[in-house]
Amino acid sequence: MAMAQQASAITKAGALEWLGRLMEQAEVIAPVAGFGGDTVFSPLRSPAQIRWDFENPLHPPKQTLLPQTDPIVSIQRDGDCYEVLPIYDESPRVLFNIRSCDVKGIAFLERMHAADPPDASYLRRAERTAAISLSCVAPCASCFCICTDSGPFLRESYDIQLTDLGEDLFVEVGSKKGEALLAGSQDLFRAATEPELERRRELEESARRRFGEETCHFASAMRRISTGRVAEALWAKMSDWCLECGGCNLICPTCYCFSVKDRGSDGRLVRCRMWDSCQYPAFTLEASGHNPREQRKDRMKRRFFHKVSAQYYMRDGAIGCVGCGRCVKVCMGTTDMPAVVAAIRKGSWRG
Amino acid sequence: MAETSTRGNDVFLPWIARIEDVRDETPDTKTFTLRFRDPEVMREFEYAPGQFVELSVFGLGEAPFCVASSPTRAGNFQTTVRRTGQLTDALHLLGCGDEVGIRGPFGNGFDVTAAAGKDLLFVAGGIGLPPLRSLIWNILDERSRFGRVTILYGARTPTDLVYKYELKEWERRDDIEFLLTVDRSEPGWEGNVGMVPILFEKTTLRPESTLAYVCGPPIMIKFVVQDLLMRGFRDETVISTLERMMQCGIGKCNHCAIGHRYVCRDGPVFNFRQIRELVE
Amino acid sequence: MLSVATTCPYCACGCGLYLLANRGELVGVAPSENHPVSQGRLCARGWSAHEAPSWGGRLRTPLIRKNGRSESASWSAAMDMLASEIGRLMHEGKAIGVLGSPRATNEENYLAGKLARAALGTSHLDFCLHSSFRPLMAGLEDVTGAYCGAASLADVEAADAILLMEGDLARAHPRAAYSVMRAVDRGARLITIGCASTQMARLSAVYLPAAPGCSGDVIDGLLGGVVAGGLEDRGSVSAWCDGYEALASALSPAEQTEQLRQAVEWIARANRATFLLAPSGASGEQLRRDAAAVASLAGITGHLDRQGSGIMLLLGRSNLRGACEMGVAAGRLPGYLPLADRSARDRLCSLWGKELAAGTGGDAESFIESVSGLIVVADDPASALPAGRRAQAAMEKMEFLVVLDAFVTAAVEMAHVVLPIASYAETDGTLTSLEGRVQRCRAAADPPGEARAGWQALAELCSRFGLSAPYRSSSEVLAEIGAAVPVYAPAGQAGEGWGGAFVGAVRKPKANVCASGSQPITYAEYPHVLAHEGVIDWGKDPLVAFSPTLNREHRSRARLNPQGLVEISKHDADQLGLRSGWHVRVESTFGDVVLPAVIRPELSAGVLLVPYAFRDHAAAVFAGRDMAAVKVERV
Repeated sequence: MAMAQQASAITKAGALEWLGRLMEQAEVIAPVAGFGGDTVFSPLRSPAQIRWDFENPLHPPKQTLLPQTDPIVSIQRDGDCYEVLPIYDESPRVLFNIRSCDVKGIAFLERMHAADPPDASYLRRAERTAAISLSCVAPCASCFCICTDSGPFLRESYDIQLTDLGEDLFVEVGSKKGEALLAGSQDLFRAATEPELERRRELEESARRRFGEETCHFASAMRRISTGRVAEALWAKMSDWCLECGGCNLICPTCYCFSVKDRGSDGRLVRCRMWDSCQYPAFTLEASGHNPREQRKDRMKRRFFHKVSAQYYMRDGAIGCVGCGRCVKVCMGTTDMPAVVAAIRKGSWRG
Repeated sequence: MAETSTRGNDVFLPWIARIEDVRDETPDTKTFTLRFRDPEVMREFEYAPGQFVELSVFGLGEAPFCVASSPTRAGNFQTTVRRTGQLTDALHLLGCGDEVGIRGPFGNGFDVTAAAGKDLLFVAGGIGLPPLRSLIWNILDERSRFGRVTILYGARTPTDLVYKYELKEWERRDDIEFLLTVDRSEPGWEGNVGMVPILFEKTTLRPESTLAYVCGPPIMIKFVVQDLLMRGFRDETVISTLERMMQCGIGKCNHCAIGHRYVCRDGPVFNFRQIRELVE
Repeated sequence: MLSVATTCPYCACGCGLYLLANRGELVGVAPSENHPVSQGRLCARGWSAHEAPSWGGRLRTPLIRKNGRSESASWSAAMDMLASEIGRLMHEGKAIGVLGSPRATNEENYLAGKLARAALGTSHLDFCLHSSFRPLMAGLEDVTGAYCGAASLADVEAADAILLMEGDLARAHPRAAYSVMRAVDRGARLITIGCASTQMARLSAVYLPAAPGCSGDVIDGLLGGVVAGGLEDRGSVSAWCDGYEALASALSPAEQTEQLRQAVEWIARANRATFLLAPSGASGEQLRRDAAAVASLAGITGHLDRQGSGIMLLLGRSNLRGACEMGVAAGRLPGYLPLADRSARDRLCSLWGKELAAGTGGDAESFIESVSGLIVVADDPASALPAGRRAQAAMEKMEFLVVLDAFVTAAVEMAHVVLPIASYAETDGTLTSLEGRVQRCRAAADPPGEARAGWQALAELCSRFGLSAPYRSSSEVLAEIGAAVPVYAPAGQAGEGWGGAFVGAVRKPKANVCASGSQPITYAEYPHVLAHEGVIDWGKDPLVAFSPTLNREHRSRARLNPQGLVEISKHDADQLGLRSGWHVRVESTFGDVVLPAVIRPELSAGVLLVPYAFRDHAAAVFAGRDMAAVKVERV
């Protein structure tokens, strides 16, 4: 395995030193203690804030690459003339201790934004953002990354993958960006030992086993959704359990729908890209008042078609779910991804 | 934070265009003639009939409008806009010399080459005429390449007819057949009264040799297409444009997605067979 | 990136969220997994809570009206003009009114109340939406002595039976609807009373249709079922229900449908039952009786005095309860105590160092037409009061109108003096949720331009009129609130975490149970009922109107229906041969109006609803009432 040659290790104390050096070069965003017991992704103020043991924060690291309100064009008026300039955010950033599912989510967003025509506003920010992920040795209760090939450990897509061995961290480098993050800090790392490699393998195996015998139903749901074999009545029934909060879209690591609006007054305007949700009734509302997806069931069908149909699988190269389980926690109703996928497979909602 | 601002080939960056002319079409519809501020951009602006642009009214954002002029007439372009919301309200207040932003052209547009040699039937309702007008002028400017041309146009009332000045010209031309109707008559109206499909009775349809282009409100499209299919047109020969809330124009924002197609990229022009296959 | 823990400013559920700010601009919202109410969940409004303050039409400088035109002015010039003009009116013995707001903090409302009662010496003090919710609070008070129920959202979630008298819960209070859904998913029986088969009605075990104004019939049916079936909780009835005998004999032994019988049994036999009440479109008096009857039903089935059971009022705005409890409510002192409460008056009098104004004052709807001067804090009477056009006309001829707001509203356009204050995202303060949680909102950005925190502006107004108001922070105002309203004292001491302190309303030792006794208003020649839609819609509220994401639908509807609209059932539309968008003439004994009809398939036959935002277009038919018997014809 090629990994053995590349892998290295670092003590957690050494990792704090490394973090300190990274913070001098870039904004380092990591899970930290938030308010009232929450864990949130936030720019680090000191390396000591870093957490090694945490449940993945509800608000995904997507917000760094694709902020909820993202300025994309500056518009200035000078007399009767307008000047427009693109706004690029190219500050260097490091996402530290993000989870495997979110790394996969970012890879999904990258593919989407790089697809023809490429979206420079997103790509320039992404280019300057590196991700150091911490593999999941103990998956959290609501996640199912094993069903979506996005965890608990990664084989690809990461810049650097860390595995918590207790005192030490096992370090795998997966990209040029990852190599660059190690560049000035080689003194802190040492080659990983064979027992450490073995331990990492064990941890991955045990993490996989923790998902239990649970079988994944995406394939069967995908077949039914792709071929339109989900009864309208089932969509209607399920949609009565949705409160249209849009939360599932907004926290989803692979959702990227947006609207564009101008903010500011007279002379100085900023055109912003803003998160939007296909579950909002007005998402498809046309100026004429016509709304092709007026009914909630049609909007719900739309969401799952985009996430799990074979058509989108072909178009986007993956299903639009990384198994992070956030929609289970954020859903105001009860129509999260696992619940709906299970219902589609069974052909009935709740029993 | 390092923010660099350079004019690159950014997909969200509009080009500035000036309004050259504004023409009232109906009480709530105007046609704007636009020319890019930068002559280089104007020269390079190539579009097909049926394509659309994202037009910015700065401060209010962007909205999609089809290009209503024909690509055969370079130097400027036109778009016809009905007042339906904040942005169009603001646009209607602009006049000659005012600046707007333009991105595009976007979408597939009508396949003019495929229409060569065919008989062509245009059926438009109300504000559905502008996208067809682009194609119609394109065809009339290259008249000899095409077979018979029949244009059927209807609006709610005579007041709601757009391009009244051109309709007269079309009526006079002897190389096309042009029929007009209104749903509700008004004093002074001497023409046909009734929904667009009544005009089918007044012309000769040749389904086997004809491509039919249908544009208008969703309900009108529905009835016209049904009628055409019953009269022997095949799904592939009935061509329409889908109206959706298109925001980015480049297949990213997802507002206009139907099934796995994006109206802004894969459309807005579809034949009826493709439309049938779209899953909402 | 700054992330500030705060409380959602929309409905009264009291969800917690983080406002995200980047270089002083609000850019987003993040949910909190550990907030006791929201637990990581936010509705569409919560998710867009950052938008209105940063995208909205904001007031940046004080404005003074000169020769009919509004001009920017300095704070001192605006304050001077305000003090001299209001002082002049007071000197001339003319009446002055003050309106607080259910979207202002407790601190702002408290100071608005103090300004009115102590500094300006007026009893004309209220907030606009009070009139929509007061009947429900009065009905509960009639029976239990407490104006609010004691049920929490956790109680709803854990209930075995839920009675929902609704406007449209899923739209109005998504967080509460979530609790109901969770309960139903667990197997709880949901019983819904309403005039439309809404989302919650469709999830119900039993949906009991009732035309607006007729919910009382259904509740009396439930009461009758309890009595007839001997299902009352004997212990509760004897221990603390007065009037049970009279209630039992007042109920005619109506025929019990199977559905009604089933619902009665579920409620009576439930270990935990919760009763959710929202304005239903009925008249104030009827609503009061309906609320009393629901409280009585809870009382005789033992659910008023049982842990985990109880009543919840579905209050329509984030701080509606706080506005009431700060005493910016007609006829009420802080603590929502009656104006005549001697000990409360004495307490306030010594706290404020000034006699309280004499007289009872009117409610917002009446005094807005009689006062010569009006100070409006963070509200727009024309869009919030039921008779919007009348309020508009009254303000237009007001001698002196002062508006303190963060946003540009219709009231701002008319004001003689406008003071720009911070929006909820730029000020510290507290909001009281429908559960009675007093939770903090915290500033996540600076107020724009010269805008100041509302409590600061109001404190300065108080001192301009001779009151001592030396607060250095909103916490100092909260500390004083604790002295004025003792149940709020713990709120001032609550720690920094999520949640905050609870306030509760005190119940009487014994409940006076009674039936509703509803009087249906249909007549042979006017077979339909026209009512206001029970949901107080958000369309004109600046927090929605200025949010690009939230205002799309409403704006589109208002634009497409400039002449208003009336919602009609599928059944009635078919009878009349109507299609959506066609016009109907709606006629009552008071007048008639022609409106476009929109078919709403969920609606019960015979019911026509006018959305709150369009109520003025049907004013001729309502003639000042909440509902009317009408006939409908196609035109």
